Amino acid sequence: MISALFIYNQKGEVLISRLYRQDLKRSIADIFRIQVISNTDIRSPIITLGSTSFFHVRHENLYIVAVTKWNANAALIFEFCYRVINIGRSYFGKFDEEAVKANFVLIYELLDEVLDFGYPQNSETETLKMYITTESVKSERAIMEDSAKITIQATGATSWRRSDVRYRKNEAFVDVIESVNLLLSAQGNVLRGDVTGQIMMRAYLSGTPECKFGLNDKVLLEKDPTNRKKSSEAVEIDDCQFHQCVKLGKFDSDRTISFIPPDGEFELMRYRTSDNINLPFKVHPVVTEIGKSKIEYRILVKANFSSKLYANNVVLNIPTPLNTTGVICSASNGKAKYVPADNSIVWKISRFQGQSEFMLTGEASLTAMTHKKAWSRPPISMDFHVLMFTSSGLLVRFLKVFEKSNYNSVKWVRYMTKAGNYQIRF
Amino acid sequence: MAMRGLTVFIADIRNCRVRELEEKRINKEMANIRTKFKEGSLSGYDKKKYVCKLLYMYILGWDIDFGHMEAVNLISSNKYSEKQIGYLGITLLMHENSDLVRLVVNSIRKDLDDNNEIHNCLALHAIANIGGREMAESLAGDVHRLLVSPNSKSFVKKKAALTMLRLFRKHPDVIPAPDWAERITNIIDDYDLGVCLSVTSLITALAQQYPEAFMMAIPKAITRLHKVIVERDFSADYVYYKIPIPWLQVKLLRLLQYFPPTEDPNMAEMLHNVLQTIINNSQETPRNVQHNNAQNAILFEAINLAIHMDCESDIVRQATNILARFILSKETNVRYLGLETMAHLAAVTDELDEIKKHEETIILSLRDKDISVRRRGLDLLYSMCDVSNAKTIVSELIRYLHIADYALREEMVLKIAIMTEKYATEHSWYVDVILQLISSAGDHVGEEVWYRVVQIVTNHENLQEYAAKMVLHYMRSPHCHENMLKVGGYILGEYGHLIANLPGASPIEQFNTLHARFGLCSLATRALLLSTYIKFINLFPEIKGAILAVFNQYRHVLDAELQQRACEYMAIATMPTDDLLQTVCEEMPQFPERESALLSRLNEKTNMTEDKRTWNIGGKDSNEKTPANLLAAKEKNENGNVDDLAAALGNAGINTPSAADEATPKAGLSWKDQLAPGYEVWYNRLRDGTDGVLYEDSILQIGIKSEYHGHLGRLAMYFGNKTHTQLNSFSVTVESPEGLVIASSHTLATSIGPSTQIQQLYSLECQQILTDVPLIRISYQAGSIQSIYLKLPVTLTRFIEPIQLASADFFGRWKQIGGPPREVQAIFKSSERINLEKARSVLVNNRMGICDNVDPKPGNFVATGVLNTSLSGKVGCLLRLEPNRETDMYRLTIRTTSDVVSKHLKEILQSALL
Repeated sequence: MISALFIYNQKGEVLISRLYRQDLKRSIADIFRIQVISNTDIRSPIITLGSTSFFHVRHENLYIVAVTKWNANAALIFEFCYRVINIGRSYFGKFDEEAVKANFVLIYELLDEVLDFGYPQNSETETLKMYITTESVKSERAIMEDSAKITIQATGATSWRRSDVRYRKNEAFVDVIESVNLLLSAQGNVLRGDVTGQIMMRAYLSGTPECKFGLNDKVLLEKDPTNRKKSSEAVEIDDCQFHQCVKLGKFDSDRTISFIPPDGEFELMRYRTSDNINLPFKVHPVVTEIGKSKIEYRILVKANFSSKLYANNVVLNIPTPLNTTGVICSASNGKAKYVPADNSIVWKISRFQGQSEFMLTGEASLTAMTHKKAWSRPPISMDFHVLMFTSSGLLVRFLKVFEKSNYNSVKWVRYMTKAGNYQIRF
Repeated sequence: MAMRGLTVFIADIRNCRVRELEEKRINKEMANIRTKFKEGSLSGYDKKKYVCKLLYMYILGWDIDFGHMEAVNLISSNKYSEKQIGYLGITLLMHENSDLVRLVVNSIRKDLDDNNEIHNCLALHAIANIGGREMAESLAGDVHRLLVSPNSKSFVKKKAALTMLRLFRKHPDVIPAPDWAERITNIIDDYDLGVCLSVTSLITALAQQYPEAFMMAIPKAITRLHKVIVERDFSADYVYYKIPIPWLQVKLLRLLQYFPPTEDPNMAEMLHNVLQTIINNSQETPRNVQHNNAQNAILFEAINLAIHMDCESDIVRQATNILARFILSKETNVRYLGLETMAHLAAVTDELDEIKKHEETIILSLRDKDISVRRRGLDLLYSMCDVSNAKTIVSELIRYLHIADYALREEMVLKIAIMTEKYATEHSWYVDVILQLISSAGDHVGEEVWYRVVQIVTNHENLQEYAAKMVLHYMRSPHCHENMLKVGGYILGEYGHLIANLPGASPIEQFNTLHARFGLCSLATRALLLSTYIKFINLFPEIKGAILAVFNQYRHVLDAELQQRACEYMAIATMPTDDLLQTVCEEMPQFPERESALLSRLNEKTNMTEDKRTWNIGGKDSNEKTPANLLAAKEKNENGNVDDLAAALGNAGINTPSAADEATPKAGLSWKDQLAPGYEVWYNRLRDGTDGVLYEDSILQIGIKSEYHGHLGRLAMYFGNKTHTQLNSFSVTVESPEGLVIASSHTLATSIGPSTQIQQLYSLECQQILTDVPLIRISYQAGSIQSIYLKLPVTLTRFIEPIQLASADFFGRWKQIGGPPREVQAIFKSSERINLEKARSVLVNNRMGICDNVDPKPGNFVATGVLNTSLSGKVGCLLRLEPNRETDMYRLTIRTTSDVVSKHLKEILQSALL
């Protein structure tokens, strides 16, 4: 399994180095730095050099690298790497170089806990927080009690939840966050379009509640004859994965999502859809090269969602040729300016009402080039957040909570769509 | 140079933690520069700064596709710093075939023409760095002008020489080297050693391509060496660890090796002096490593030159002793060079005895820990091998082969095979060695080696039985290489019957020996063995059954070649009669003698490098194709061809002297066209006397004194410098006509001080009848290079001894000679009134003895003389001059024993009398 775990900064300096097995030397860290970080040709996340495999994940300005000498399960190792990032984020807020440098001891402690002889152990943040804390040491007795509980919990049926949680007000928050990936050809055809979504849940529920969760999943709705008529609004989910608390046996048999939630925030589910995507924005770019010294831009953006909704932080990156000297542009809404560092015009619109339509006109002047090279016309890319809108059309139909004490609980659902890789060629 | 913007920019880039940030910064800066450039009207400083920034981005690896024009514009700036950045820009941003090169050519030319030497240097750098064809074509002339111009500073000359060298290496056809040869060669005399060093590098490269054109570099190089080494005339700046400019010494010594040995005895003497001094200087080893290295570098090059000049000379003998010391040296480099130089000696000399004394040491060097030393040891052994020591060397090499480095083995095998073949005294030894070679180092034995064995065995009948026996013996050893099997298969198939009666070599045993290894060898070998088997069927019908079984089996093998052979052989073998079999398997005819493929293989391996080798590894015969020898041979051939051509023309009866002239582009002929204007005045004045002024202009005065005795003469020439500055690069070349030998007594100084005179003595020997006068070419540097071409007043008549004859004798001989063609008569009008005294002095000055009272008519002259030549004997000359004072006409009648002399004597006297 995982023989060693390293964390490097962007320059390739080793920040964290933890060896779990005897089959590697510490100097293996240099090999990764030389072969991967310094070598710009290699961008693959898995490199096998000789009998040693390096799995790396980049986060902020860090490389999280797991090294193994075995033919280990790559998916498991990557999942573990992302877990490490999640743990880091929930402990330090932001998991970057500064955070690592400020928390060496804590990170080593965490790494000792989540991996044992290279085998992943409990990596549930909430559980870890029970015994690896940043706070001052409590009294002997409290520790004794806590540690007894930890043992019971870690070996019990629901290792992710303590049994003695009590809240005065029982609440559950569900966030559906989708990111839209789009690549539109210059002719307006969709070359690639899909939505990756995650359902985040924050559960503040007492006891050990059993939750049932319902989506407008097409497969499920078609199964139920009474809901046939509604199936047109259903969503076809290509692929999904769940938090470990979800009972997969039940999902497999009747596609119901039922679980005992961990306490606090967790990611309940991830999914992907690629059919019937509602694109939140339509972009009509008209870019004409006038002679060799000028380019005219007319970019029209239209919001395609209900006029009751609005989008925040809409940013369009409109590329300019490499020999641009300056751009004069004006936008009907928002601010547009030429950013030479990125070789693009950046158009920012802070609030974009649904169904509205904005226009940018601009003119880039070009300088002569020694070697005439055609402009590659890279695509326009776009960034945005739209609240209460899902591109996939996914809706939460119900969330039911059953507990022995039968208390009433309040549930909140929130939707958000943001741009993933939203690109339009012209 | 301080540019704050640039410094800040570089600091910004260095502070970027990641590539992405750097890219952003670069993009931003590029956009900024683009805007600035687009706006135009930038100051020189700004332009320089932005070009610098672009260059910095460029050397970081970013693509720069604008700003070239700004760099080009900077070149034409007058400020040094801006010009420098401009040049830096174009040398970095442009490659040699870039279209933009066209734009800068003019700016560069302007800078080359500039009086500012720093601008010259920048331009030269740019030319050398870009060095495209277009640039070379348009600027080579300017570079040359800078190189030879007397106004150029030393460091401009140095750079110009090296720039030219670079252009020549890239585009040899662009440089008209033969036309420039003379002026370039003269720079060797430059007082600045650095210039001389750079020019020598250039000449070394040029001379390899155009050896004839650079022949005149020989005396210059020798003189320079003499100055530095013997006269110790050098500036203290160029002393490296007590040795004066070792680089120049080495280069000059090397340069001389590209030419055939000099024939001028003075030069040879001088060179001998130089070499002797070098050898004397290096008798003791200095402590300091650098000093030692420099000294050895010179010494090795000197020894190489000595070997090249004359490999039997005394110096070479001394050198051999030094080399013997070197090959025992503790230092690897010295051992290496010692062995290499000794191999050079062995490769060209006939006298191997000196080297053979050190045979043991050389053989020991095969066990050196350094592989390159081992290789040189092998080369030397190969070079020094001859009939007497071949056996020892070969056996030593074979013994060594087993432990030799793998990289060396193939070459060793090849060399052993060649030596064995070349120096074998008995054939059995040859067979022994080669078979041993194949059996012990089979993997390294090339195909050529075993082909050659087969050829030799087939061609020598007395060898066949022995070879068959030995082959069989070797094939029985447990480790038998496939190549051995190939040789064995062939030889047994041909000559197996010769040993069939010996014990252990019966047909079936031979077959079994071969077939035991059949399954283990490659397809090609198996095919060969199948052929052997069909030959066996012919030779030994008793084992036919066993062989047919093999054929039968191989009829179904997958390989097409084997299958075809098996089927065909099977068919032949099972025919009712043996007629076809016997015809097919008749004994092989002898191979025609051909050049050993081995030698060509070996020579293939010597690859071409930038500076050609001056010798090849191997015996004397392999060295006849070195550059210098080729040149000498070529000269001979050229002369030969010309003679043939002339003879052919003569035979054909076509009287086209002009064609013949064109076919002989000798230097002398072209000289005639360039004779100094007004030379006739002095020439005609001197023609009648022995002493006087030959030439005079505002700079130089040339005087002559001469005396003659029979066929010998002595001529002293005085060169006086009339100016108040020194004349440099002074040289005198004499082109003597056929039949006259002119030798100078010593080497002329190359410079004449202000208002001083130098003298040169020549000894003359008339070997045959002269039909022409010698030409002399004087060149010197006063500002630019000046050349003066003159005729020397050494006419036929100088070698006449006057005699007095009595009347009876005279008329007796007069009649004896008889009429034309030996008599020549001319009637011509004098240009002035006839003066009898003048006529008399003309005759006397032309060394005719005037016989008074012979002619009955007073006023007529009768004169006699004997022309002396060392090879064509003596020619008697009689003449009669009849002046007619009324009409101012002369009648000149000449009778000599040679029609050629008559004709020329007439011409000389007639022109003198006019």
